[in-house]
Amino acid sequence: MNIKTKIFLLLGLVFFLYSCTKKEFEGPSIQNIYGDFQLIKPLIITNEYPSFSNNENVGFHCEFNKPVQWKITIMGLSTSASKEIVGFSDNIDSNIVVWNGAPTQLPFFLEENCAIEMTFENEIDTIRDTITIASAKTFDNGVWFENFEDGLPEDGTVYFNNLGGGMTFALANDDALLGNSYFKMGGRVNWDWLLGNLDIPLNITNINQNSDELFINIGILSDLDDLHSGQFINILISEEKNTPFNDNPNNNGSDLFESTMEVYKMKIPVDWNGWQLKSFRYSDFEPLSPSNEDIDYSMNPSDISAIRISCQACPSSDGNPICPENFGKYVRTDIDHIIFTTNSSLLDQ
Amino acid sequence: MKRNLIHITVFFTVFISSIHLHAQIKESIWFDGLSRSYFARDAINKSITDDTISALNTSNGYNLLDLNTHVNPIKNIEVFAQLRIRNSFGSFFGSGTEINVRQLSAKGIINNKIRFSVGDLFLKQSRFTLYNYDEELSGYENDMLKAYRDIIHYENFYNENRWRLQGIQTDFSYKFDRYIRSLGFDFFVTRPLGSSQINETTYSSDLLLSGGSIIAEINKKIMFSGNYINLFEVPSSGTKNISVRNPVYDMSILHQFNKGNYYIEQKIQTGFSKRYWLHSELENGLVDSISNDAQGMYFELDNKLINKDSTLSLMIGYRYVDPNFRSAGAQTRRLDYAAGNSNTIYPIYTNMSLIRQPSLFDLVSDDQLYNQDLSSVLMVYNPIYSNILPYGEATPNRNGIYLKAKINDKNKLFLSKINAGLFKEVIGQGTSEKREFGLLKGALKINFHRWLNWEKELSFSASSESEITRRGGEEISSLNLFSHQLNTSVNTELVKKFFIQASFKQFYATGSEFLTERDNYGNITYFTPTQIDQIDHMLSFGMLYKFRENVYANLNYNWWGVKFADLPHLDYKYNRLILILSVKL
Repeated sequence: MNIKTKIFLLLGLVFFLYSCTKKEFEGPSIQNIYGDFQLIKPLIITNEYPSFSNNENVGFHCEFNKPVQWKITIMGLSTSASKEIVGFSDNIDSNIVVWNGAPTQLPFFLEENCAIEMTFENEIDTIRDTITIASAKTFDNGVWFENFEDGLPEDGTVYFNNLGGGMTFALANDDALLGNSYFKMGGRVNWDWLLGNLDIPLNITNINQNSDELFINIGILSDLDDLHSGQFINILISEEKNTPFNDNPNNNGSDLFESTMEVYKMKIPVDWNGWQLKSFRYSDFEPLSPSNEDIDYSMNPSDISAIRISCQACPSSDGNPICPENFGKYVRTDIDHIIFTTNSSLLDQ
Repeated sequence: MKRNLIHITVFFTVFISSIHLHAQIKESIWFDGLSRSYFARDAINKSITDDTISALNTSNGYNLLDLNTHVNPIKNIEVFAQLRIRNSFGSFFGSGTEINVRQLSAKGIINNKIRFSVGDLFLKQSRFTLYNYDEELSGYENDMLKAYRDIIHYENFYNENRWRLQGIQTDFSYKFDRYIRSLGFDFFVTRPLGSSQINETTYSSDLLLSGGSIIAEINKKIMFSGNYINLFEVPSSGTKNISVRNPVYDMSILHQFNKGNYYIEQKIQTGFSKRYWLHSELENGLVDSISNDAQGMYFELDNKLINKDSTLSLMIGYRYVDPNFRSAGAQTRRLDYAAGNSNTIYPIYTNMSLIRQPSLFDLVSDDQLYNQDLSSVLMVYNPIYSNILPYGEATPNRNGIYLKAKINDKNKLFLSKINAGLFKEVIGQGTSEKREFGLLKGALKINFHRWLNWEKELSFSASSESEITRRGGEEISSLNLFSHQLNTSVNTELVKKFFIQASFKQFYATGSEFLTERDNYGNITYFTPTQIDQIDHMLSFGMLYKFRENVYANLNYNWWGVKFADLPHLDYKYNRLILILSVKL
């Protein structure tokens, strides 16, 4: 083999080695980490007059020079309803980033003008635009709902601790989430956890969805004025089938939530200001008595027979001073619009 | 008479048998080892270091004896145990004394054909499969600091670039009279890390390293060798169902011949690696799967020219190592900056209690900073002290040419070495622009006593080692790092075997680099820009008495410190007096 052949083979090998590696570079882009933020394509809104009642959507499109944490905020100028869409990327695709007219939190949007604001984490840039809602999104009532507009639910029972102070377990009309009426739950029971509860019988035997596909939505009102930091709501859902809802009329409560029955629970700390609509997947509820081996915990939404909304708070009196900082404070966990939806939560419809 | 005869018979029987036993013990048990006395006194140089929190000076030291017992119960078997007795200065008898077994092994030859070793093994294969590369800044160390370096190597079992492992190893060879001259085989299985409890319910898996080599001498000119090594975990030995697999395949062809006064060697070496994590024994009957799969190859062409009178040795080569080449046995570093090891001497400094990063002096003198465990992912390195080949010649993502040369005078009036290289990344890191590297190291030793025909030694040595790293492209990702190490030393033998020594070592680094952060699977997750502008120095003066080879007493004084150009680091200076008495038994 002469020297030219050797050189030729060596060059061929070097070329081969260079062509082995396909990637452009290792690790994250330094430009993305440390480079200045630049807008490559401005914000484009695909529908400036959406008719959400006709299932129209609003798409957003934008491109940047590097991935950033971005946030689109839509604010109803009449209702103050708002929707936030967040993401981390270097482009916003209008086929993926769409708004269907639902708010992130109540209230709902109505036919109104909306301000749109796009901001970026750690960047001063803000992009603004407006749209006009031609028709608002309509929400269905789900498989079951209770809005307290016609008084307390038929056959429902209310129990509260009579010895407490300022107990408010009754309907009220001053500040409903939607409509006129809501159910106030609050008061002061410094020495015990339970303030009271509202029990409602249910019959949703006609649904076919499993526990992953059933959502419990409930509006809860709290206020931050002298907040009782240990207040919470316990939602109990019973699948007991063999006992009547109010088997013992003398105990001021339903008899479907005993520790020997198939009951599921969800604890919701209440520590915000105003109304919030909370949504929970039924499969995220936990067994009430998991150590009781006699109970067959197999969730089946069509077997749901009752729901209990229970107002509780951490005790604070000298006799039971678990949360002494809350002594003398009033609990407020009012509720409105309890809606059972299938396949998605109410606001994700 | 008969009774006396019995007494005499019994006496001689016992006496002769005891002589025989004594002779047998003498032949079958022998000892060697090492003894060391070490004392160091460290002090803050108050003129520059604003530190009223740390002790003004500290002292520590120890005596130790490593007693090696070699037992040959039969001709072809040797059992070896190294027992360490160590006593720290200032401790009460017993409380400060440690006695432990430092090494234990057995080796032998079966049927005069197959050699085997069990226990502590010192293993090495090719430079891309299993090789314990030298630590940074140790390339051209001067004689005065050799005592420090000897301790680091001895305490961490760094023996001829071998990794110390526990397991079993065997080798054997065949000779042939036609077609092929000889064929040698070597196999081993070791356990670098055993299963251990992580928390109440979780146990890590056994980490095993197995491998084999084959060396075929085709004829006097051509030799072929192949190596295989695999680092893997055994999931069933722990509770985790994720286990690493890192097989590496290596082969080389060596062509050697004589031409006039020169001996010429040409070597082509290539191979490839895989490294992935196997997810096995999954729930719900899922089939096994792999993740973080990386595959890479390497290639090296090496040409060596050696003058038969040993006055010239020249090596020129080309090397390509793929960015995804992963070899735990060859890429594990001696220095591990991520292990949380802190400096033994003044780990915290100044009244702000800053953590003192390892400096030139610490790398030279602190054996606690060094690592003995193989790592399945690339370890963290400090670009200040080693940025071009932090994982030795197996450093991934390098492509370039190199040159190594040794030029000696016939009468050893001078000895010189040159090591140079030009490398480039195969792909960029964080940008498509690639780093370019330049390496130039040179060392010279002049033996004045040979020049002047003196019997006693008078020598001067100096070395200069420079590394430059550059990356162009956009300003935000561009970088430029330069480092330079200067070593000078003088050895003067005043009276026979008694030397006065002086040395100066300085390390200078300036520029900018990006520090690389990796996740548990070795993937790069982040780059942190860093500005570097510092000068480390170490000035030493002392005396050495060589009783004989490997038996010496060394007393010297070190002035050392670091000067930083910018905050947040603060300059510091310390002094040390050190005495080492080392006796190889």
